[in-house]
Amino acid sequence: MSRRVLGFLLELALPAALLIGYGLWAHRAGSFYFPPLDEIFRYFRELWLFDRVGSDLLPSLARMLAGYAASVVIGVGLGLLLGMYRPLRVAAEPVVEFLRALPAPALIPFSLLMFGAGNASKVFVIVLGAVWPILLNTIDGVRGVDPQALDMARAHRIPPGARIVRIILPGAGPRVFAGMRTSLAIAIILMVVSEMVASSNGLGYFVLEQQRSFAIPEMWTGIILLGVLGFVLNWIFLRVERRVLRWHRGARGLLAEHEPAAGAPSSLKKTPTPEKSDA
Amino acid sequence: MSLDGAATIDARRGTPAAGARLPPGRAGRLLASRRVRDLGLKVSGVLTVLLALELCSRVGLLSRDWFPPVTDTYAELFRLGMGRPLWVEIGRTLNGWAIGLALATLLAVPFGILLGSSPAAYRMSRVVIEFCRPVPSVALIPLAVLVYGVGLEMKVFLIVFVTFWPILLQVVYGVTDVDPVVRDTARAYGLPAHARFFRITLPSAAPYIATGLRIAAAIALVLAVTAELVVGAPGLGQSIVVAQSNAQLPRMYALIIVTGLVGWVLNMAFQAVERRLLRWHPSQRQEESR
Amino acid sequence: MLEVSNLRKVYGPDPHAAPAVDGLSFAVADQEFVCILGSSGCGKTTMLRCLSGLTPATSGSVVLRGKPVNGPPEDMAFVFQDYSRSLLPWMTVRRNIAFPLRYKGVDRRRAAELTDEALDAVGLAGRGDRYPWQLSGGMQQRVAIARALAYRPGILLMDEPFASVDAQTRSGLEDLLLNVWQRYGITVLFVTHDIDEAVYLADRVLVLRPPANVGHEAVVGLPRPRNQVATKQEPEFGRLRGELYAALDGRPVVA
Repeated sequence: MSRRVLGFLLELALPAALLIGYGLWAHRAGSFYFPPLDEIFRYFRELWLFDRVGSDLLPSLARMLAGYAASVVIGVGLGLLLGMYRPLRVAAEPVVEFLRALPAPALIPFSLLMFGAGNASKVFVIVLGAVWPILLNTIDGVRGVDPQALDMARAHRIPPGARIVRIILPGAGPRVFAGMRTSLAIAIILMVVSEMVASSNGLGYFVLEQQRSFAIPEMWTGIILLGVLGFVLNWIFLRVERRVLRWHRGARGLLAEHEPAAGAPSSLKKTPTPEKSDA
Repeated sequence: MSLDGAATIDARRGTPAAGARLPPGRAGRLLASRRVRDLGLKVSGVLTVLLALELCSRVGLLSRDWFPPVTDTYAELFRLGMGRPLWVEIGRTLNGWAIGLALATLLAVPFGILLGSSPAAYRMSRVVIEFCRPVPSVALIPLAVLVYGVGLEMKVFLIVFVTFWPILLQVVYGVTDVDPVVRDTARAYGLPAHARFFRITLPSAAPYIATGLRIAAAIALVLAVTAELVVGAPGLGQSIVVAQSNAQLPRMYALIIVTGLVGWVLNMAFQAVERRLLRWHPSQRQEESR
Repeated sequence: MLEVSNLRKVYGPDPHAAPAVDGLSFAVADQEFVCILGSSGCGKTTMLRCLSGLTPATSGSVVLRGKPVNGPPEDMAFVFQDYSRSLLPWMTVRRNIAFPLRYKGVDRRRAAELTDEALDAVGLAGRGDRYPWQLSGGMQQRVAIARALAYRPGILLMDEPFASVDAQTRSGLEDLLLNVWQRYGITVLFVTHDIDEAVYLADRVLVLRPPANVGHEAVVGLPRPRNQVATKQEPEFGRLRGELYAALDGRPVVA
């Protein structure tokens, strides 16, 4: 018990020290760019509880989620197709490799020309960036589905549609989720970037606008909110993944009676190659 | 027992095993013909996409106002490639990219080794790492502009801040993932600490570091282009915006293609390095046999 | 029941490549237990895949109850060697057993009945809500057998099903299999590389020699029900064992 408390305190020591250190320094230094903590928090309360939630936070979230959802649907659907048919996969490979390597923000001008400055162009940019990790991981996952499970299904005359839903998709599930985790971070980044260019609301717009009018504490509140947003969305994602892929951790013998609280986070338990990360 | 019996029978009579059924020459020829067919598929895949875009533009399915025919874009690309300015822009983008990535590596590798070899240090910094990592990097662009202006320094700062995390995490994982049997063996043979580090820990962690670098390289390029695009630091991203605002569409698309090609080449190069370092790793061996 | 004649299988596009199966012919009677004995790499797996219609044969024919086999027939179930890979880890034991039934046109209630019955037959009643990875290797293979039983096949194809469990579990599974074979009145075609196992289980043992054709046939006249201790002590058991060992080795059989 006391050991656990001690460990917990140890984990919190560094963040607390950093925060206190910054607070003391900012107070003393009186830097224009780095305002004291209490000032930032005062502005934060003024702006985000709940004045600008409807005007900036919600539109941002809606764009991000729409783009992310579209990326998942397109990535998984296309990944199944390319994973199952080798000729198609080989033919698509150079195009996919090129588009994946293309930094998505470079496509913002193209997207603006095509869709104008509305929501559609932002969602489009998010999809163009976030779809690739999902697509590539789904392809690998589909290819990695155990051939014996497929034989079993064929021997029992399971129709092809059910084979996809019941065997190929769950079998590729761990890889699909690995891709979705990477894509989530990309979707948030592209949400911010697309709002920094030709936009009239949203968190990205807000942060850049405050900086341009030298409203420094306000800018900081935006940055902090974005950080919290990234952290929370990631946390929700990991919860969902944990639940959906319970069988996977169980099958690999990782399901302990109690989850280790202080061990390496699950995100560290990666083999070097299997994940195709990208941003 | 019967199992052993079966094995010796095989050995004595030289039964061809499943894999050896094809004589090596024939297998090689089959593989070669497959490779040629794959190349054909790849080329036709690219051509199909280009042809479809060209047709859409010529027929008017995609408006000429914002999507010129692909042939125009490629003509412009060719023109740009012959001139000097394009290479200057590429150089500017890559300059920030390289400095940022190098600095991040210099910072992240020693830190990662420290955190990887000391559980207490890892625990202490866990919350900070877990909190900083998912923060959308681009949120810091305004801050970076405030502090460093719109030049190279701003780009480098952003790239260092963002690429530090993936490299750090891969290094930590690589250092902690040394095969315990190997580690014990080294200790049993009385290898001194520094030899254990250079002969065992570092080589085992190298492929992980390479993976971290590949991921970081891609992110760094995204950030470089983003910084150029959003705040107008000189480089490829900025020239895309300039081409767009001057309504030079073929040039804009040509520059986008160039950006993609830069990303692609960097990715290929890092992948090649990674594959070399990873040759011994089981996951790689499996992939090759597939 | 099952008639195989002149089966030939060549992999790849080249028709002159060495065949994996060549000139294989045999027949299995209704409710018979036939073991196919062969050393590793003699084409057992290819043969089974051709019989089950998973892989098309190059030439020759497989006829099941008078109907030629072109794809996996409805009347056939399959138990693979590697239980950990043929059970789906994302489904509970019960779902693993029941889900092929749904696509056979069995309604939900009947499928639940068949599942319970099959679980009971393999001694796993009450474990249906576990996941496969929560069970031991032997239990997992029993789930695979239960899945095959619930499918109510006329013929059961088994590909070295007990090769990857320990010896103790293995004799238990052998007895379980004999038990359900008699209870359900099915035909079993059992592939193994283990001489003792083949003799202990079978009515008839076919020795496969590369490239997979029947090199020798032995009728097992041992009385049933068989017993792990008593049956294996019978002189007839020892004689058959020697005969099959010689046949596997390719020496002339001394009768």
